[in-house]
Amino acid sequence: MIVLEYILLAGLVVCAVAAPLCKRLLTTVIVYMAFSLLMAVLWSLLQTPDLAITEAAVGAGITSILFFLTLKKIHALKGTRDE
Amino acid sequence: MNKTPSKQSWWLRLVEWVDGDREPKDQTLFVMEQRPPRHVQRSDAEFATQDKHRLHRFRRWYPVCAVLICLALMGILMAAVLTMPTFGEADNPINNEVAEHYLEYGLEETGSANVVTAMILSYRGFDTLGESCVLFLAVAAVMMLLLRDEKNTDEHDQQKQEREDGILAAHPDLILRRAAWVLVPFVFLFALYVLLNGEVSPGGGFSGGTILGAGLILYSAAYGPKQMRVLMDARRYAAVRTFGLVLYVLLYGIYIFLGANQMPNYLTGMTLLIDLAVGLVVACTVYGFYVLFSRGEF
Repeated sequence: MIVLEYILLAGLVVCAVAAPLCKRLLTTVIVYMAFSLLMAVLWSLLQTPDLAITEAAVGAGITSILFFLTLKKIHALKGTRDE
Repeated sequence: MNKTPSKQSWWLRLVEWVDGDREPKDQTLFVMEQRPPRHVQRSDAEFATQDKHRLHRFRRWYPVCAVLICLALMGILMAAVLTMPTFGEADNPINNEVAEHYLEYGLEETGSANVVTAMILSYRGFDTLGESCVLFLAVAAVMMLLLRDEKNTDEHDQQKQEREDGILAAHPDLILRRAAWVLVPFVFLFALYVLLNGEVSPGGGFSGGTILGAGLILYSAAYGPKQMRVLMDARRYAAVRTFGLVLYVLLYGIYIFLGANQMPNYLTGMTLLIDLAVGLVVACTVYGFYVLFSRGEF
């Protein structure tokens, strides 16, 4: 279990560094989503299932949807540029 | 020549100025156009090179500044972490009689086996009430900015929206529809389970409400706004949202008026109802954000 936790923590660091370095905004959002998912698994490993459920639903789900909608609104997604 | 304009009392002048009827006397202080006109007009090429130079300078300094600010923040946070007590020590300040009391008497006093739910909905119910109000107000603020009605929508926007709706109706996303057809019942079921079983198992109002909102979003994304209006239109949405908050306020009010310390045991089922109220508010917040961001109307 400890090994799994270390792997997940390394993944967290990788995601956190990668998110601002991505060129495309869409990739940034997806990397951020991955960060939240790793975080949710880590919460459940730390025996806080309440937080894990909320993190998975809010961090990986709702926030990303709101980011995608914002990207669509400012025409930053592929295929939404033309009027 | 009389000198009435300058002899007017300063109060009247101030009132006129505040009302906007009269310009301040010394316009150079406030108006930028007093600057002498530029004699030498810059050529386009010069303008372009200057612009490029400025952009180049910005590009060079921006990462440096960002890294410096990040490092400073990291240093501050690390310094703060170093001064914190060691994790898991027995004589840490957080291990006091409050936590012991919650763990020992939580089930008895609130009737909920899940201590987290007991804490956030009963012992710290006022905090949660404030959070629910914040969520309610957040949706109200987003509505103010993004809600589309006949006053802020022109013909062009209307036509664009109708065209997009037409495209969506003509080419439904098969994968999304089939996946939603399978998933939505289970999402709703799981949401209700997390919501209503929050007393004894992990979960509760916030997580259950979020899952419920996610289910509504999935349904709305897969089947379009027309189908969604059957389930939830603007009036019903407002009613549910307000009902959740009012239910919470009323239920928590009972706690106050009966005296929280001598709570009779028969009111223990109230945690369930408060859970439901919080869940409704959270679900409506999440779904409202989605709808307002994507279309601007229900």
